[in-house]
Amino acid sequence: MSGTSITLARRARLPIFLGLALIAVSIAYPVLYLAFAAFRTKADYLANPFGLPSEWTFQNFIVLWNNYDMGRALLNSVIVVSAGLVLQMMVAIVAGYALARLPVPGARTINATFVSVMLVPSQVLIIPIYLLLSRLGLVGSLPGLILVYVATGLPFAVFFLTAAFGGVDRAILEAARVDGAGFWRSLFSVATPMAAPGIATLGVLQFLGMWNELLFAYILLPNDQLRLLTPALAQIGGRFTSDQPLVSAGLIVTALFPMLLLAFASKYVMSGLAASFGR
Amino acid sequence: MTAPAPTSPAIASAVAGGGPRRRVSWQRRERWIGLAAVTPALLLVLGFMIYPVGYALYISFHKTNGVTFEYIGFGNYTKLLADPLLHKVFGTNLLFLIAVPVVIFAAIVCSVLLYERVRGWKFFRVLFFVPNVLSTAVIGLMFKTLFSYNGPVNAVIQAFGGEPVDFFAGAGTAIFVIVLALVWSGFGYQSLILLSALSSINPEIFEAAALDGAGWWRRLWSVTLPNIKRVIVLVSILNVLYTFTSLFGFIFVMTAGGPGYDTTTLDYLIYSLAFSSSRLGEGSALAVMVFLFIGALTLIQLRFFRSAED
Repeated sequence: MSGTSITLARRARLPIFLGLALIAVSIAYPVLYLAFAAFRTKADYLANPFGLPSEWTFQNFIVLWNNYDMGRALLNSVIVVSAGLVLQMMVAIVAGYALARLPVPGARTINATFVSVMLVPSQVLIIPIYLLLSRLGLVGSLPGLILVYVATGLPFAVFFLTAAFGGVDRAILEAARVDGAGFWRSLFSVATPMAAPGIATLGVLQFLGMWNELLFAYILLPNDQLRLLTPALAQIGGRFTSDQPLVSAGLIVTALFPMLLLAFASKYVMSGLAASFGR
Repeated sequence: MTAPAPTSPAIASAVAGGGPRRRVSWQRRERWIGLAAVTPALLLVLGFMIYPVGYALYISFHKTNGVTFEYIGFGNYTKLLADPLLHKVFGTNLLFLIAVPVVIFAAIVCSVLLYERVRGWKFFRVLFFVPNVLSTAVIGLMFKTLFSYNGPVNAVIQAFGGEPVDFFAGAGTAIFVIVLALVWSGFGYQSLILLSALSSINPEIFEAAALDGAGWWRRLWSVTLPNIKRVIVLVSILNVLYTFTSLFGFIFVMTAGGPGYDTTTLDYLIYSLAFSSSRLGEGSALAVMVFLFIGALTLIQLRFFRSAED
């Protein structure tokens, strides 16, 4: 999997490299273009949309922070995503381990249920969930959205972790049990460390899903103080398209975490997204 | 997609040891612990996914403002199906299917190039993945900015002596930009899926073909593509489904369905019926119909694919 393909003629290497480079430019150029635009003043940008900033400025970010409450939106997103992620992973780890390694009655039915509800699109859920949460008084509250994120991500999370714990050597778990380890001890001291790569992959994947989600976040948190980052950006972009450097700055802030994740944990990001194929 | 079979009780009890009575009580304990461990996940999924699906069905048969419900049978469904707006929106949605062959083509090119593993291919692979970690809202706004009236694309057009184009003022140009955003956001991930299919082909087949004198293009047509046909079809099916369920983010930030209803898709129409016009019953009815439609579409496509296989 590492060396260059054997059947590739030496003189064919350059054209293939150039083809890949061309595709790479078409991906990277728009992103870099907007990243540079974010550090320019509007006048500088309009004078020459291309080219580097004539002077670097953080003004756009400051305006986003002071006038559009982007800092609060960032904080809200961090709260919702971290709480949702921790809760979801805890529930899913316990359930996935049980389904993989304990004689759960009706396990087959439970697995089938989780797999089939994975296919329900969020458009079907949004109206009933909105009415349900408004009856519970949870529309416009962070816990309401956290609950929805935890629940809608669970079927995939449990499915994924059932497979991950299924790969843990049964003999080691039996040995732990013979030594007197109970459910929690077997799970957290033995099974979880062994399934750690799978758990990390799932965590990365679910983080991206929650961070980038728009529909639920927009509908279920209608008040401005509780806006999350992605809907806040969508609103700024809808209203102020003429100020492209400002919108670019918002794009950079919103895209920063996912990009950093891809840069530093690309292994987990890519294996996770490959596993969620067809979700 | 197969889940591992649950622990066989026979194996579990055999290893546990002890007398028969102890084995039985121990096993019963294990079953209870297992059930207790699955319960929180089950309750959450029941409460926030399965119950809402049933509730969506219930709402779709009622005239409602969210507080009072008046049963009207299939009223919402018949009203929607007779509505010219729905026909138009459905047509628009079909138009977005243009993106599917383009994405597939780009993904095939990309994966075939990556497969040769020339210098730097790992870096390219990560880079092609960038659109996949971004929100559709971010990608939509990127394209909206790039194609805005005083944006860089128009700057290039003007540099070549053309008139600037107001891309989002006309249906055709707006759809063009959205399709471009769709292609940009989708092909990297799908090329990775195709690449993993390519990697599972036995390399000896390629070597044999090369020894027989087949050149690069010949190998592509006669060996590579036939071997990943299955995955290409699967990716196509997913793309078609994606076009009916996942355009909301793009439409929401780029055009808000406009001009008029020219770029409104089915998923955006559900949102605007329910949350802009408070027609919750009709919104639910449309959601149910889209759900049934994509379900039927999947089955038809799978069947078509299976019969083509034989």
